[in-house]
Amino acid sequence: MTAVPAASSHTGSLAGGRSRDGVVTTVRYGLRAHRWAFAGVAFLGFVSPYASGASYLAAAGTAAARATFGRQTIALGPQLAYLIPLPLRPDTVPGYLWWKGLTWLTLVFAAWGLAAATGLIRNEEERGLLETWLASPLGRTRLVLARVAAFTLAAAGAVVFAGLGTAAGVASGKASVGLGSLVEQGLPLLGITLVCFGVGLVAAQLATTRRGALGLGGVVLLALYVLDAVARVNPGLDGVAAISPFHLTDLTTAIVPGGQFDGGATLALYLTAAVLIVLATAAFRERDLMGGLLRGRVTGTPVVHSPSGNPLLRLPVLRNLWQQRLGLIGWVVGTMVGAGLIVSLARSTGKLLASLSGFNRFVQSAGTSSAATAVVSSVWLSIAALIVAAYAITQTSHWASDDAEGRLEMEIAQPVPRWSVVAERCATLLVGALVMMALGSLVTAAIAPGQGVHVDTGRLVVAAGLLTLLALSFGAIGALVIARFPRVAVPVLGVVAVASFYLPLLAPLFRWPGWSLNLSLFHLYGTPLTTGIYWTGLWVMVAIVVVGFGGAMAAIRVREVGR
Amino acid sequence: MAVAIRTEGLTKDYGESHGLFGLDLEVAAGEVFGYLGPNGAGKTTTIRLLMDLVRPTHGRAEIFGVDCHAHPVEVKRMVGYLPGEMPQWGGLRGRDVVAYVGGLRGGVDAARVKSLAERLDLDLGRRYRLYSSGNKRKLGLVLAFMHPSRLLVLDEPTNGLDPLIQQEFYRLVEEEAAGGGTVFLSSHVLSEVERACQRVGILRQGRLVQVARLDELHHLRYHRLEADFSGEVPVAAVRALAGVEDVTVEDHHLSCAVRGGFGPLLEVLGRGPITNLVTHEPTLEEVFLAYFRDQEAPAVTPAGKA
Repeated sequence: MTAVPAASSHTGSLAGGRSRDGVVTTVRYGLRAHRWAFAGVAFLGFVSPYASGASYLAAAGTAAARATFGRQTIALGPQLAYLIPLPLRPDTVPGYLWWKGLTWLTLVFAAWGLAAATGLIRNEEERGLLETWLASPLGRTRLVLARVAAFTLAAAGAVVFAGLGTAAGVASGKASVGLGSLVEQGLPLLGITLVCFGVGLVAAQLATTRRGALGLGGVVLLALYVLDAVARVNPGLDGVAAISPFHLTDLTTAIVPGGQFDGGATLALYLTAAVLIVLATAAFRERDLMGGLLRGRVTGTPVVHSPSGNPLLRLPVLRNLWQQRLGLIGWVVGTMVGAGLIVSLARSTGKLLASLSGFNRFVQSAGTSSAATAVVSSVWLSIAALIVAAYAITQTSHWASDDAEGRLEMEIAQPVPRWSVVAERCATLLVGALVMMALGSLVTAAIAPGQGVHVDTGRLVVAAGLLTLLALSFGAIGALVIARFPRVAVPVLGVVAVASFYLPLLAPLFRWPGWSLNLSLFHLYGTPLTTGIYWTGLWVMVAIVVVGFGGAMAAIRVREVGR
Repeated sequence: MAVAIRTEGLTKDYGESHGLFGLDLEVAAGEVFGYLGPNGAGKTTTIRLLMDLVRPTHGRAEIFGVDCHAHPVEVKRMVGYLPGEMPQWGGLRGRDVVAYVGGLRGGVDAARVKSLAERLDLDLGRRYRLYSSGNKRKLGLVLAFMHPSRLLVLDEPTNGLDPLIQQEFYRLVEEEAAGGGTVFLSSHVLSEVERACQRVGILRQGRLVQVARLDELHHLRYHRLEADFSGEVPVAAVRALAGVEDVTVEDHHLSCAVRGGFGPLLEVLGRGPITNLVTHEPTLEEVFLAYFRDQEAPAVTPAGKA
């Protein structure tokens, strides 16, 4: 017979031991939950500085070329100061690598921190998992701290990969950087990641949904980022910018020759993260499950027994767009603001580029004699391509959620042919991307003449159309993967996007054959604004769309659905 | 009489003896059929096969003569469906979910929805994520009942419903049957099936072990009874009673199983110094264990024909 422990043994040291076990289990669970994001961020953390370092020799192979390149980059820096910090010693491999490879990586780590925090708390809450965790004797404080510990470990691991990528990038540029400098450069990167995690954690206590927390945290971080960006071009705002974690991170330039490790700023990052985590923990202890500190009281809203009269909910495609309306508005506004910002800077940036001999190749590669048009073509439309790729990935994520959360089962249980589900998804993506790109192009066409930038309207329309096709290409790959492996569709698409981004950069460096460039979806898109349609790319994208969505329609007819 | 559901050798083999095996079943049109089985017996698998959500390893299923796999859209036009687990609709309000799912069928009868929501006491103005599990179930029932359908397929429909709403649900089922509709509902609660159904199929370990009218199932029905005494327990008299089994006595506590009426037992117990009396319905698994005691799980029977 099995001995049953006495009731009293459930208290005291045994409880403490179990609690410790619970913390360890929760940390392990947290690490497991972060594994895919960790893999993606660590991959980017390695590749981004490595590619920047490796490409440096191609841009400036000799000492004289480096000096020229450095001067030109310094001159170009203020034009890009709204996006990334001013360059520092770009005549050296570590300096260029810091500016080109590491500064935007900060944004990737920041976004990860925010998404991880809101996902871990609110997403688990929405799925009912948090209720289970809280029913254990772990306690809310320990639960949050275990989550923080798990994320800190994952983030530290990703920072190590960024350090390895930096070392490899510097070495490939035939330069060197000390281990101490790498560690000093990594500390603020980890610090800002934890600050953003803390912001996300606090936001998750205030809003009642993951999306709301992500939006709230995103707005706060965007404001802090813009503050840093504005301070870069207005040095008088340096004092105010000190509240921005992005500013505090930029202050450390340890890998740059003659750079510095700002211990005070780095310490401030960690203290900020600690304060935010303490605040979030206190708020988490106070609030109701499924509730938020900002949630208002339920008012005397009349009870409703009738179905919604919204006609959009009854129409294919529009019913999906209506459900995503807030997100879609965000995408559209972001695209329009991006177009407006870059096109308004195109003339001055183009003038500068035209005056710098080292950037002639950039202008020539855009297939135009106008440097300003080259900026619109190569900078704005490249960013627009990234935007539609990201939009397609979020749509794929929606589709995967439909499957995992039972909505697909409910839909297929209605008298609709299965293939129509895929067709409607495709059409929803098409319309969403088309709206984004049409309005982005409208802003471009409206602002460009005022800036003295010539943009061919016909080609702009073609460029917008091809961007929509690019979005469909990503979506088609996602749809095909979802048909068989719904859980891995988003990571797979992420890898496709990252590989597509880096392939055109790495192929010339490693002398890969020309056809290998066609493996990049971004290369297939080409530069339609200046060089016209890249027909091979267009047909390959059409083939991807037909095969992807067609295959998905065929696959959904035979696959099994249900949780 | 027309046949609403017909399956022939319907099998879904998930491996390691999980799934559904060789289901031969007929449910007549206009019938309320209870599909009874413990957790993991294969009830949801059967329903998913009927709805063409999963595909059979062998065999076939028809609804009103239409092959579920070959013509799923035609089948679903005739069926109202409640899944065992409700989907997550997130921040959508109940009324939006109704309009959305209704839109997939080409529209929704607002008066019918209003009537259902009022009867089930469901506020369609609230966001889905704020619904309790019972309210989510009510919304599922609204979605299943809101269209005119010849067959309702309901997977454990009363899970999470309070007793008052359960009664309303039973009335809805009765109205559906009175209007000529067919109802196929799964459950793991014997009393619920007894309350709502005319005929019952019993599933165990993926195999249909019995199909019978309710009056043929009385031999399955028993209750456990527990009684405490302040003095001597009349154990010999209890053991002598017909229909009383599995009698155990520990100190002044008596426990037994009772089939049929309680009258003779209560009379015997009343003779002793009784201080406490409790009865409870056994779980379905306990019923099966009692019924199949000393037997292996029987092979598939051809008893499924109506």
